[in-house]
Amino acid sequence: MSKKLSLLLAVVLLASMALTACQPAASGDTKPDCSKAETFCVGLVTDVGKIDDKSFNQSTWEGVKQAEKDLGAVVQYIETTDSKDYDKNISTFAEAKYDVIVTVGFALGEATIAAAQKYPEVKFIGVDQFQGETIANLAGLNFPEDHAGFLVGALAAQMTKTGKLGAVLGTDAVPPVWRFGEGYRAGALYIKPDVEINVVYHNDVGFDKTFSDPEWGKTTAISMIDKGVDIVFGAGGKTGNGALLGAAEKGVYAIGVDTDQYFTVPEAQKVLLSSAMKLLTPGTFDLIKLAKDGKFPGGNYMGKAGYAPFHDVDSQVPAEVKAKMEEIAKALADGTLQTNVPPTKPQ
Amino acid sequence: MSEEQGPKKTRSFKLPPQLVNTGLVPLLAVLTSMVVGGLIIAAAGGNPFAAYAGLFEGAFGSLNALSETTVWASPYIFAGLAVAVGFKGGLFNIGAEGQLAFGAVAAAWIGYALPGMLGADIPAVLHVILAVGGGMLAGGIWAAIPGFLKAYTGGHEVINTIMMNYIALNLTSFLLNGPMKDPNPMNVVARTPLIVESAHLPPVFPEFRFHWGFILAIGMAVLVWWLLWKTTLGFEIRTTGANLDAARYAGVNVKRTIIVTMLFSGILAGMAGAIEVTALNYRHELGFAVGYGFDAIAIALLGKNHPAGVVLASLLFAAMRNGATRMQFLTQIPVDVISVIQALILLFVAADTVVRYIYRIRSRDERFSLTRGWGK
Repeated sequence: MSKKLSLLLAVVLLASMALTACQPAASGDTKPDCSKAETFCVGLVTDVGKIDDKSFNQSTWEGVKQAEKDLGAVVQYIETTDSKDYDKNISTFAEAKYDVIVTVGFALGEATIAAAQKYPEVKFIGVDQFQGETIANLAGLNFPEDHAGFLVGALAAQMTKTGKLGAVLGTDAVPPVWRFGEGYRAGALYIKPDVEINVVYHNDVGFDKTFSDPEWGKTTAISMIDKGVDIVFGAGGKTGNGALLGAAEKGVYAIGVDTDQYFTVPEAQKVLLSSAMKLLTPGTFDLIKLAKDGKFPGGNYMGKAGYAPFHDVDSQVPAEVKAKMEEIAKALADGTLQTNVPPTKPQ
Repeated sequence: MSEEQGPKKTRSFKLPPQLVNTGLVPLLAVLTSMVVGGLIIAAAGGNPFAAYAGLFEGAFGSLNALSETTVWASPYIFAGLAVAVGFKGGLFNIGAEGQLAFGAVAAAWIGYALPGMLGADIPAVLHVILAVGGGMLAGGIWAAIPGFLKAYTGGHEVINTIMMNYIALNLTSFLLNGPMKDPNPMNVVARTPLIVESAHLPPVFPEFRFHWGFILAIGMAVLVWWLLWKTTLGFEIRTTGANLDAARYAGVNVKRTIIVTMLFSGILAGMAGAIEVTALNYRHELGFAVGYGFDAIAIALLGKNHPAGVVLASLLFAAMRNGATRMQFLTQIPVDVISVIQALILLFVAADTVVRYIYRIRSRDERFSLTRGWGK
């Protein structure tokens, strides 16, 4: 019997060999040569996470894919499985003479700076990496959080029935968080000057806790809702996600942050009105295009903000609100509408 | 079927049984896993030969690739030895993950804070020894606690080391988020400050990350072999592991041996963490060295709990983890395939009857149990 089994194994092995031999030439043979000037290659290195994470990695990769389609770029990604591989994964692309390397997330910041200095001929795009000093071949892709906050604030002000809005945020000591909160306030007041806004920052704890306190986020959201708030904006890592869960529990609208949280907090799908989004896909594409055109901007590059689709609650959003939102988004983008939120909290 | 009964000429070729158990079976397990993994790659539309070629190139294709493989192998060897020593003493140390984390935290603290506390610089050699030694001690004590509980209360080390993992990992999270957090105002990550230069364990060649920690790991493998097979203590550990009652009857202080085994196991695991800090990352951060303590269990099993086997298994696992990047870069086959193959290896090693059945290797009827039951 065991003889038959080993025979079977041998047959299967042979079959698999034959199978693969018949396949069209493996990608290894047709690998484009990125060292040629006419071949434009873009590589992406994820943080410790998957390329299809429905969040930062995926949205950025979609921007790279767009470069493949629109700019004829050769694109490739490497998924990082351990933080000690950041350097190696970035240099895998650099050694293969890729023209642009995109690194996703704050955690790769230091590795990206080191690589940009080591490979000055390669252009680096660091997503969500604020650059303290300007390096000519490294662009940090950052986003106007105040615009994103303004958009969802305006949306909330149009959708509220009680006239009371809530926001549950991480600490205002982190400028992007503060800009989300103030943008939200400004956007709501722009629509409805008499709206009541309850913006709460989790400032009562240390930096360690402020973004990782879903319990606090949830209870804070629920206590707001009990006082009449009917839309809650949650922004600040797990703390903000806790607020979304609180809104879901109470059955009032929730608004997420950063990426479309319909996919990252499925428990809140039923009540998720929208998310204050950093538009990673167009931001990444724009920078790649600038690199291709030889106009790559070193230092910090400001991407665009937006709001996520309404998904499950789409039918509850009136057409005039949708139209108004598009109008505001357009006005913010072309600069005719200002949020008047300063970059940092005034002392 | 009838041919099974008769004696066979092909069976005349015989390896020494010891070698069959410790060498041939793991080797065949790895081979079988690669074949099955290859089938999975082919089924998913990839080319397994291109994938394995990429894997090999990424692991051994250049000096830098070799260097990176040793970087991956170092913590695997230390942690694999830790688990293997436990198994030799009849103890299943699932707590290597937590012991490793504590080793890293202790080494990082000694690395960045001690000179400031003493108000003086520490000479480089001494500082490295202090940092690594501190990590070893932290891991050792953390493992000795479940050892003590096993020896004196009968509390099962499997349960207790798992529980100690939770305590260690959450405590590490607290320390890195709180008292030990890098105070740099730009920092929002849970990590310690960088350790000072004098606590660095340097790379062997300045242009590669290949560091002395790897050489130290090989040295520890030799030391573990010597200790287990050439000393009285090693004999006591092995006897206690093989048969508790026999050991007790032979006059071995079983309680002491259990605690010493766990202490020694934890020291090795703590060393894995300390070397990652002093030789590679120069700090500890939440998310560094995650899962090595669990990979170490697979490595110890594949290495049949022999130091040489652990070194080979570590190199294999390191080559796979290191080569995965190149494989994905060249073929776009997801790196997850590596996890699948590693899981298959573990499956075939743990259930080696399957391997013996496929390749018609006769069992020597020698049973290896991962752990013993409850009680004293």
